[in-house]
Amino acid sequence: MNETRDTRSSREPEVWGVLAEISSVDALHGTCEGLRDAGYTQFDAHTPYPVHGLERAMGLKRSLVPLAVLILGLGGAAAGMLLQWWVSAEAYPLVISGKPLFSWPAFVPIMFECGVLGGAAGAFFGFLALARLPRHHHPLFESERFERVSDDAFFVSVAAEDPRWDRDETTRLLRDLGAREIEIIEA
Amino acid sequence: MATAPTTLDSDQARLPEKGVWKLLPTVGMVTGVVFLLVAGFLAQGGPERFFHSYLVSWVFFLSLALGGLFFVLLQHLTRAGWSVVVRRVAEDVAGTLPFLALLFVPLIPGIHSLYHWSHEEAVAEDPLLAHKAPWLDEGRFLAAAVLCLGLWSLLAWWYRRESRRQDESGEIEITERLQRWSALAMIVYGVTQSVAAFDWLMSLDAHWYSTIYGVYFFSGSTVGILALLIGLALILERQGALRGLVTFEHYHDLGKLLFGFVVFWAYIAFSQFMLIWYAAIPEETLWYARRWEQGWRPYSIALAVIHFGIPFFFLLFRDVKRRRATLALSAIWLLVAHYLDVYWLVMPALLESPGFHLQDLLTFVGVGALFVGVLARLLRRHPVVPLGDPRLAESLAFENV
Amino acid sequence: MAEAVRDVDPIEHRPELIEGSPSMGEITEAVARPVEWTPPLGWWIVLGISLSMLGVFGVALCWLIWEGVGVWGNNVPVAWGWPIVNFVFWVGIGHAGTLISAVLFLFRQRWRTSINRAAEAMTLFAVACALVFPAIHTGRPWLDYWMFPVPNQMAIWPQFRSPLMWDVFAVNIYGTVSLLFWYLGLLPDLATIRDRATDPLRQKIYGFFALGWRGSHRQWLHYERAYLLLAGLATPLVLSVHSVVSFDFATSQLPGWHTTIFPPYFVAGAIFSGLAMVVTLMVICRVAFKMEHIINVLHFDRMAKLILATGSIVGYAYATEFFVAWYSGNLFELFAFKNRALGPYAWAYWIMVTCNVVVPQIFWFKKARTHMGILFVASIFVNIGMWFERFVIVVTSLHRDFLPSSWDYFSPTLWDFATLIGSFGLFFTLFTLFVRFVPMVAIAEVKGVLPQAHPRHEHPAGAPSVPYEADPQEA
Repeated sequence: MNETRDTRSSREPEVWGVLAEISSVDALHGTCEGLRDAGYTQFDAHTPYPVHGLERAMGLKRSLVPLAVLILGLGGAAAGMLLQWWVSAEAYPLVISGKPLFSWPAFVPIMFECGVLGGAAGAFFGFLALARLPRHHHPLFESERFERVSDDAFFVSVAAEDPRWDRDETTRLLRDLGAREIEIIEA
Repeated sequence: MATAPTTLDSDQARLPEKGVWKLLPTVGMVTGVVFLLVAGFLAQGGPERFFHSYLVSWVFFLSLALGGLFFVLLQHLTRAGWSVVVRRVAEDVAGTLPFLALLFVPLIPGIHSLYHWSHEEAVAEDPLLAHKAPWLDEGRFLAAAVLCLGLWSLLAWWYRRESRRQDESGEIEITERLQRWSALAMIVYGVTQSVAAFDWLMSLDAHWYSTIYGVYFFSGSTVGILALLIGLALILERQGALRGLVTFEHYHDLGKLLFGFVVFWAYIAFSQFMLIWYAAIPEETLWYARRWEQGWRPYSIALAVIHFGIPFFFLLFRDVKRRRATLALSAIWLLVAHYLDVYWLVMPALLESPGFHLQDLLTFVGVGALFVGVLARLLRRHPVVPLGDPRLAESLAFENV
Repeated sequence: MAEAVRDVDPIEHRPELIEGSPSMGEITEAVARPVEWTPPLGWWIVLGISLSMLGVFGVALCWLIWEGVGVWGNNVPVAWGWPIVNFVFWVGIGHAGTLISAVLFLFRQRWRTSINRAAEAMTLFAVACALVFPAIHTGRPWLDYWMFPVPNQMAIWPQFRSPLMWDVFAVNIYGTVSLLFWYLGLLPDLATIRDRATDPLRQKIYGFFALGWRGSHRQWLHYERAYLLLAGLATPLVLSVHSVVSFDFATSQLPGWHTTIFPPYFVAGAIFSGLAMVVTLMVICRVAFKMEHIINVLHFDRMAKLILATGSIVGYAYATEFFVAWYSGNLFELFAFKNRALGPYAWAYWIMVTCNVVVPQIFWFKKARTHMGILFVASIFVNIGMWFERFVIVVTSLHRDFLPSSWDYFSPTLWDFATLIGSFGLFFTLFTLFVRFVPMVAIAEVKGVLPQAHPRHEHPAGAPSVPYEADPQEA
């Protein structure tokens, strides 16, 4: 049993999943809803621009980017204020223009800027982390058709790691849902 | 298409004929007059206290109405579609301006109690006041007040009347006309509201000056109107009017604007404070010395926390702006904060440290009841949604993306 | 009906944002072309001129560092001469990019998509130009690291009570955040160029910067959140940056500098000048790169309105300043303002008023807002006016200070001119390279505002959307 499987996998290249081209953005919603309702979880829609409402059709959860922004933003602001307090009142106290050592009104601008910097870093790096980027190599890039995803084509991909994955079953389902071109992607 | 008035259930667009709303105009009027008369004749705390309290109450409600005018003009200026369903409510709030203008009259006998510069003997011995005498002059003061109040009343009346005419006719030309004049009207508004803020509030401290003062007053009044609009929409929805028309998408947008202006207020307030604190020029710091160093210090700190700190962290969250309960809380909270702000602008001119007085309550209820009465009357008289507005359909279908 | 709700305004019929209803492929083609073609002669000429000006900048900076700040006209009492004028001018130019990208994004002004990329790039380049000036103005630029929060050899730290330190943080953070925002927006478009590339080297380079973007909705979901939040952060940031710049002046006790309206007034002025610069550049670019249908009359009409609006705010601030100078009863304040309008620099003051307050009034007329020639000329006047505004603020307040014996008349030297012209060289060089190597219109965003971009069933015909308590999904 094990032997046969091994020989098969060495003969046949491993499958990453399937890529299906969808004719229009209207159909894309339908396809995603169909996959979602059939119990698929490891599938994705690929579009040249963000299509709103697709997350509902795909059953995705809210993005966690705001949390990263909140935490890093507040952290940045706190760090900015602490730095100024420590430098001005602790590390080397100097009285300047008769102002108190801890001149908080004068420290607000930098506190604010540091908060924004933290928040922006949270947004940008939070996005990269959550979107699993950078990832320069991906099996999908092997498909020539997929090059048009950044131009004017819409795709749905289903990964083989999906628990519901079955090569023939999934392909048929996609075809039933109206996919035009279906391509098996090798890992 | 879209020229035909959108068909809406009349219950959705109108306040119920009976019930509280029918009584409110009369009750409001009577209550208001009674309270004001009591406050006036009680003369407790002397005329100075009465007039200062009256000024706080009147400016508070006036700033809301003025904010309403700004909101209406802004929607026309930007050709906004999303806000059409709540614009009539703002028009009605602004519609109280002619009436609030009348309530300026009781202040005329109070000029001497309120404004130090109006005393000839004070001017005679104060070179600074003598220098300012051409501006800080009773005749000029009254003329400016008449002009400002007159222009606002005219604008508010005209914008509301035209919008109501559109309810029946659905004429697109009306919107075009309102839009065309909105730019000029906005300039008139910007200049007059600054003059008014300088005259009625800044000159309480005749020596003091700050170029940003007009912007500060504007930021506060905009926070006030946005809070009031959210509150009124929630109340009207409860009463059946606006139900199904105002959605959480509209509340969410109003909430975002409210959040934005809370931050804007803080930005302006901080800029003014920090610059004066930093430069430490005596004739400028006197205003803050009173509010920051002496008896008003705890009040000032509380104001910063209540008007900015707490609402900032509260309104930051998306869900807060999309739930009735949290929205209602924010609206009430910020209206209170705005009142505290107006109080803080006026009262330190009279008092060494904050002290509540019966007159504050009497005048607040007095002016407030009159304001509510007039507003209820305006709201009842015609649909609470601009039914003929060509962009109503867009507004109804509006979704945040 | 659903389409009507979304795109057709009953009053202005909200003209199509993109003319001629092109297909998505055509948009990609139109925007990607300048990145892929062999540049025409015109591009080389522009680059040549820009590089020559940049060369002037190099020479001016080398001479400055060799010889010292004495090569400029700066001298007591005008110790802040042109370098600070140029700094504030460039930072101001750098504000429109973020205004267009972030503020208009938050206000759902979808017309911004055609111009935001170029405006953001302009922001970055303007900030780069701006940063040069304070750096060289220190006199010993090799010690500029003293401005960063590290102790120097005497164990003394930077002086955080100084507004000049706030500037270091504000402008640097503004540059960083603008870069992140710009790059995030660029990501899908870099992927477009990568996917179209036939040359493997191009593919590798653009592919590297595209980070492996796959247009997947699991990526778009976070992308859009991050973009919205960056816009939300950039909006107060843009307000704060020019406010901080204004604090450099306003925290002092100098008449004409110390006034509380400076922060909002500087912000309005910055946006005003930045928009004018966007108009100037876009009038040229749309013709040069054949993008008249993407960057069309509608966009200019709206930018001109914004110029008029911000110009009015600036006018309001001028008037308030003047009034309060008198109202304050402060003799020095009054003198400073009289001196501005009637003193030796009256010419500069009236150039400023004419360019900033009078010229934009032409935008009350729709004809002017939609006529490329008028737009171009008026926007250049605004740019000149805003440079003079900073000149007036910096020089007139300083040249006659409290002590009449030290009064003087400031004149720039040849090197002042060279540095200013040189900074334009830096700006134009960067911009010329930008239009050649980076898609100058946000391709993905423009596709998103095409009428065919969104499914028709999204808005059930005219029906009000169902009121619901908190939406379980992010919208």
